[in-house]
Amino acid sequence: MNIEQILQAAEKILEPWNKETLRPEANRVDIVMQADDLHAATVALHEAHWGYLSAITGMDLGVDSGQMEALYHFCSGPAIVSLRVRVPRENTSIPSIADILPPAIFFERELSETLGFKVAGLDESDRLFIPDDWPPDVYPLRADFSPEQATPVAEKHVEEIPEQGMLTGNTFVIPIGPQHPALKEPGHFQFTVDGEIVTGAKMRLGYAHRGIEKAAESRSWFQNLYLFERVCGICSHTHAMAYCMGVEKLAQVEAPPRAHAIRELVAGLERIHSHLLWLGVAAHEAGFDTLFMYSWRDRETVMNLLEQVTGNRVNYSANVLGGVKCDIGAEQAEKIKEGVDYLETRIRHYLEVVTTDAMFLNRTRGIGSITAAEAERFGLLGPTARASGLMRDVRIEAPYGAYVRYPVSLVTRTNGDLEARCEVRLEELLVSCFAIRAILDNMPDGPLTVRMPRKIPAGETISRVEAPRGELLYFIKSNGGENPARVHVRTPSLCNWVSVLEKAVGRQLADVPMLIAGMDPCFSCNDRLVSVVRPHGSEILSWTQLRKLGIEYYSR
Amino acid sequence: MRIGTMLKDIIASMFKKNSTQHYPFEKNPTPERFRGNLYYDPSACTGCCLCVKDCPSKAIELVTIDRATKRFVLKYHMDRCVYCGQCAINCKFKCMGMSNKDWEHAALDKKEFTVYYGKDEDVKQFLEKLTASTDAETNE
Repeated sequence: MNIEQILQAAEKILEPWNKETLRPEANRVDIVMQADDLHAATVALHEAHWGYLSAITGMDLGVDSGQMEALYHFCSGPAIVSLRVRVPRENTSIPSIADILPPAIFFERELSETLGFKVAGLDESDRLFIPDDWPPDVYPLRADFSPEQATPVAEKHVEEIPEQGMLTGNTFVIPIGPQHPALKEPGHFQFTVDGEIVTGAKMRLGYAHRGIEKAAESRSWFQNLYLFERVCGICSHTHAMAYCMGVEKLAQVEAPPRAHAIRELVAGLERIHSHLLWLGVAAHEAGFDTLFMYSWRDRETVMNLLEQVTGNRVNYSANVLGGVKCDIGAEQAEKIKEGVDYLETRIRHYLEVVTTDAMFLNRTRGIGSITAAEAERFGLLGPTARASGLMRDVRIEAPYGAYVRYPVSLVTRTNGDLEARCEVRLEELLVSCFAIRAILDNMPDGPLTVRMPRKIPAGETISRVEAPRGELLYFIKSNGGENPARVHVRTPSLCNWVSVLEKAVGRQLADVPMLIAGMDPCFSCNDRLVSVVRPHGSEILSWTQLRKLGIEYYSR
Repeated sequence: MRIGTMLKDIIASMFKKNSTQHYPFEKNPTPERFRGNLYYDPSACTGCCLCVKDCPSKAIELVTIDRATKRFVLKYHMDRCVYCGQCAINCKFKCMGMSNKDWEHAALDKKEFTVYYGKDEDVKQFLEKLTASTDAETNE
């Protein structure tokens, strides 16, 4: 089926609720509908098995228009259907669709917190990702927000929770994080246990929230490139690439073929570094520190290559609007090939280790198994989804940039356990190695950049890129000015959390760090938006209480 | 299933020499494209300020002493810089770039991270004026 047929199928399903059809892009159809019809329309799409919910973008259309808009992006292969729901600013009630699509709860939380949408049935009694001392009824992404409104208030709701011990009723709650030896990044989890067996899981994120989406509105298109590159330190290139490709699409500028090839090459090197980093972390969580040390030693090879090509180990800044900054000469190509050859032999060795080592297999085989149906229901993305047999890879489903010219093959497994996720990630690296060689052997000639206008024509676009952790989605809106009107980022880690929360239940507590590591979470990525399930049970200290405790502790 | 799958790697490593570098006595050479501190050559500058405009972290300020004779002083805050190199890309006259030699940042005073680039006499004139104005403020 081509894009047109897929889109027509969706239009036919949504026919009864369709108020207006818009066609903002060649691969995207926007269906305007009333808020009351949203639930029925989602049920129809879900029952017809048309695509998956990729993100929900909220927008404030300004005080003058008096309206707010929520866009529900559904993706199927290269086609995107956005359900647009407009509500007046005074009455922002929208229905919840989380009962049909569980991952929607994260996106709805974001709408409610940042824009003040009143999502029906959503528990709004607690603070989610914005800080505990954020004033009530102040929404940072609204058009009339000013920083003076964000004066911290007393952490009211925290004090309302009665002080409780770890033991509540018949359940014992084990809090993990935000600072914990088992997790290297700040996230807070609460596991209810019965003996060794986990009976419930909750989490709270948001400790690395930086308000990047808001900051983007006051910066120019050029400055924002470096801001979005810093959403994540590990997949910084894919963030910059998604942003650049989106802005280029809006400006109707096509980057030269050589620039696209170099972008794919750097993305391939980045995937090698990201997955080797993950392998080390996963091995460390499993207690296999030898594998951790050796995989990170070999990761230095690819870090050095990235430094030579782009000029930096992290935040490479290889992209610039309209192309790339760094060229690859013959000498450099030779060095990359040498490095990739070495890495390939090492990756094959690690693939053998993770599939044969008895100790490691005890920690991975048959643990956290997710079936394809479950993966579909949880809305998983990236290697976590592919390990369960879901064919979900933007590079193959909707090839962008140089992936048309230098295709990659899909790696899937059907077991869906931690072992399958290890295999999928390592085999993907072999695929990346082949792609890098193919690019170096057939590098197109030509310029590296094209001229970009300073003002980007008004319009909206969705840019999807496959990051090492899964599909990364950028929604970019321009009003025709020098700054973007709205940039919404949906990172893959956010969609994959459900896999941990659902799968921890019934396992031993000792498996939990492995399960968390198994989805390759990236905290700084998902903390720019973030979801939270309210922790109950253990004692929660407010900032003032914590500070007091700290001072007392150290003055002893 | 086997045990000791990585034993070979470990044994091989026992016969290798220590790979820890004794920094700062021994330094790894930085690659040619490494983006360290910014450098600025005032002779070609026309004062178009495109570098200042696109800097994502407001790390550079360009002070015009006299546009007609092309006298500029560039105030560079290396503690704000994110070393992205966008200014060097923007400059049509190639008067700035990122050094791959000068990259070590350690100082006891934050003031050392603000650097003035320009012709010697221009920088001198600018700094004298700056001290004069701060002196005047303190006297008040």
